Amino acid sequence: MDAKFINPFLIATQNVFKTMLSTHINIGKPSLKANNLALGEVTGVTGFTGDKKGTFTLSFSKESAAYIYKSMIGEDVATINSDVVDAIGELTNIISGQIRVELEKIGVNLSASLPTVIVGQNVAISFITRLPVIALPFNFDDRGTMRQLFIDFSFE
Amino acid sequence: MGKTLVVDDFSTMRKIVKNVLKQIDITNVVEAENGKMALDILKNDPADFDLVVSDWIMPEMTGIDFLKACKENDAIRKIPFVMVTAEAQKDSIVKPFTPDKLQEAIQKARTKAQRQ
Repeated sequence: MDAKFINPFLIATQNVFKTMLSTHINIGKPSLKANNLALGEVTGVTGFTGDKKGTFTLSFSKESAAYIYKSMIGEDVATINSDVVDAIGELTNIISGQIRVELEKIGVNLSASLPTVIVGQNVAISFITRLPVIALPFNFDDRGTMRQLFIDFSFE
Repeated sequence: MGKTLVVDDFSTMRKIVKNVLKQIDITNVVEAENGKMALDILKNDPADFDLVVSDWIMPEMTGIDFLKACKENDAIRKIPFVMVTAEAQKDSIVKPFTPDKLQEAIQKARTKAQRQ
């Protein structure tokens, strides 16, 4: 996949975290995934169609998901309940929208499905493409503890 | 200060908007799931509300139809109205937004309402 398609995912994710969550996220090294398993335990999944087709996932550990909920809604949460799942779905939806805005700038027009959120470890995702899946790791500071989130995507 | 009506079909998005409003000291908030419900709430107590923050795309009655209905009702047409959208539209605020951006949009809506 052309490297120019990676930047929209990076820019969109950083922008949404900065504006919605007042959180700076650091970008790790992109890589090709050896499997199609989600790396977190709470995973938002969105499909893209249009000039290209593919799948985008946003995956968090339980602790990261709780931080996201606290930052978005302003309330602490002890477990991953339906409210947290809905918040991760909304965040996935908003980042997906920003990714499409960024891709439009380089001439790629896409539509996105409403996100699905899956809770569980080692969840296998079907990326509906024949190309390898690109993994983008990020980390951020949660009151002194570094947390991670993972974006995986593939489109062709 | 009067009440603020937050209108969105997604309860999570209503909570997000309420959280952002709280950060700019707006805490007296009433929620509605769509434009139709919101219009009923405003018609029942028009004097209680001094701000509406509404999503654009909703079932039953969209944000733009809700806005038109507000403007056609003398009792509620002057309530400042902020539209929230996923893509840039005239007189709207685009998701995601910061508390500063929302406050700016509210100020613009209040200024516009005073001129009407």
